[in-house]
Amino acid sequence: MIWVTWRQHRAQILVTAAFLALLGVLLLGSAVEAIRYVAGHAPPGCPGPAVACGDLAAALERRYDAVYSVFGWMPLVAPALIGAFWGAPLLGREYERGTHRLAWTQSVPVGRWLAVKLSVLGGAVVAGGLLLSLMVSLWRPVFRAGGDSTFGNIGVFNMVGVDPAAWWLYAFALGTVAGSLFRRTLPAMALVVAGVAVTMFTLFRLSHYYAEPARTELTGTVVLDDQDARLVSAAWVEPSGREVADPSDSGCPRRVDAGQSSKNTEAWQACLFGKGYRFAVYYHPPSRFWRFQWTEAGILTLTSAALGGLAVRRTLRRPG
Amino acid sequence: MSSALEVTGLGVRYRRTWVLRDCSLAVPAGRVAALVGPNGAGKTTLMHTAVGLVRPALGSVRVSGEAAFVAQDKPLYESLTVAEMLAFGRRMNRRWDGDAAAARLAGLSIPLRRKVGRLSGGQQAQVAVTLALASRPDLLVLDEPLANLDPLARHEVMRSIMAEVAERRLTVLLSSHVVSDLEETGDWLIVLNAGRLQVSGDIEELLDGHLVVTGPDEASTAGTQVVSASRTGGQVGMLVRGAPPLDPRWQARSPGLDELVMGYLRSPESAALPKLTGVGA
Repeated sequence: MIWVTWRQHRAQILVTAAFLALLGVLLLGSAVEAIRYVAGHAPPGCPGPAVACGDLAAALERRYDAVYSVFGWMPLVAPALIGAFWGAPLLGREYERGTHRLAWTQSVPVGRWLAVKLSVLGGAVVAGGLLLSLMVSLWRPVFRAGGDSTFGNIGVFNMVGVDPAAWWLYAFALGTVAGSLFRRTLPAMALVVAGVAVTMFTLFRLSHYYAEPARTELTGTVVLDDQDARLVSAAWVEPSGREVADPSDSGCPRRVDAGQSSKNTEAWQACLFGKGYRFAVYYHPPSRFWRFQWTEAGILTLTSAALGGLAVRRTLRRPG
Repeated sequence: MSSALEVTGLGVRYRRTWVLRDCSLAVPAGRVAALVGPNGAGKTTLMHTAVGLVRPALGSVRVSGEAAFVAQDKPLYESLTVAEMLAFGRRMNRRWDGDAAAARLAGLSIPLRRKVGRLSGGQQAQVAVTLALASRPDLLVLDEPLANLDPLARHEVMRSIMAEVAERRLTVLLSSHVVSDLEETGDWLIVLNAGRLQVSGDIEELLDGHLVVTGPDEASTAGTQVVSASRTGGQVGMLVRGAPPLDPRWQARSPGLDELVMGYLRSPESAALPKLTGVGA
């Protein structure tokens, strides 16, 4: 049965492995190149917190962005491809070609056939996602000696930790169910792509509620100094301590800015701070990285299990 | 006599439509049972139920031993080579006779290294039948094994299946909507019509137990059991069960298999089932 799984799905397995290998080479190459650049251009004591290191950090940032743009879409595209090429054909193609009537009338019962395929391919998908996460995690520190963005940037967040594996598994399960619903590969692929995009958007909106947001009050600035925090909401706090969304009776003149200038807004904010107003920010600090990773991975894994169960149920109920 | 396939009170429905109702039959071991009926009669559904692809809403299906199935479109994995297809069969079955399968394909000059998708329709059918036979089944279920095959290929496929049947105790259930396909091969007849079972019995006994009688329109049918009748001009042709009618104006002769089948299909309310004919389990 394992041989059967391998033989029927080896194209996907090999292409995915080749893709990961290629990505590994690309990441390794860019990291080696960046390290040599640092060795050749860094002033003494850099990289580090010294002001003199700013130029170096900026140059690294540009190099990082060049590579990052190559796979900026990967958090979305990789799971979509996994779902479309690993999940959708698993049942969809069998039904489409009528080969389910061959596969499910051998001695191996349908339930076992499906269990082996789901566990072998699901396991491979999880391993692939973890490998991607590992490569990205090893690669990023080369560029980001100082500030990090693994938490605040949802794109990066979805490519490190355990999340890639959870996303890949979810897409695989979604594709499998779609294949059993449509009994065709192509519509199942379309549903996977749409489903992964919708889920990613939904979970991003939902992620604000993974934990009670931290609250801090700022004076003199409206910008949180932690660049990697996830902002949830903000409000003004009156000198009396009452929180308002929009301080209208503060007596500070508020004029609309023209063009790209924010001069008037800044003047208004300075006036508010001068009158004793504070700026309350609700946010999730980066220290919640693993809590958010496990929450998201948990949601995706449970959903995958439910989808897998649905696919099994549908298949066992009416195999023909 | 033990039966290889036993169907009891079977009812199958897709959503609200019943495709099979109240079917009970038993095929004795070692028989070649021909399942006939018009398109949409439920032949494929009955076969799918027998091999576990369809779950019955009512009743049960029991196969003694292992069943192997070749579906109507003879599905195979087109991107696999013939040899890989055999490896698939070996890994998917408890019993597997790989040597016999390889010998059979060699005898048919089907190259093992060729991709299944590049074989001719007849060769694909032979590979599908070979896979089914190699799993050493007790019951071989073939859904329209001869459809889409040219006359030579039909003959070849049928001949090779019959050779296997002769060689060992194998029960075959095969369907067709062309009665003449089954004339020389079957020794058991099952007629399905609009989801209901009309006939199930030994072909010879069925033919012996029925008569085709022709006579004038006004002749009395007393003394016989009319299966169906058709009128042309002043003449009536009838298929009757048991003794001929008493009226001496009737002329009786033995029916052909197709006349028997057509006679029943023409009148769906008639039935010749084991309890009536006294044949069966």
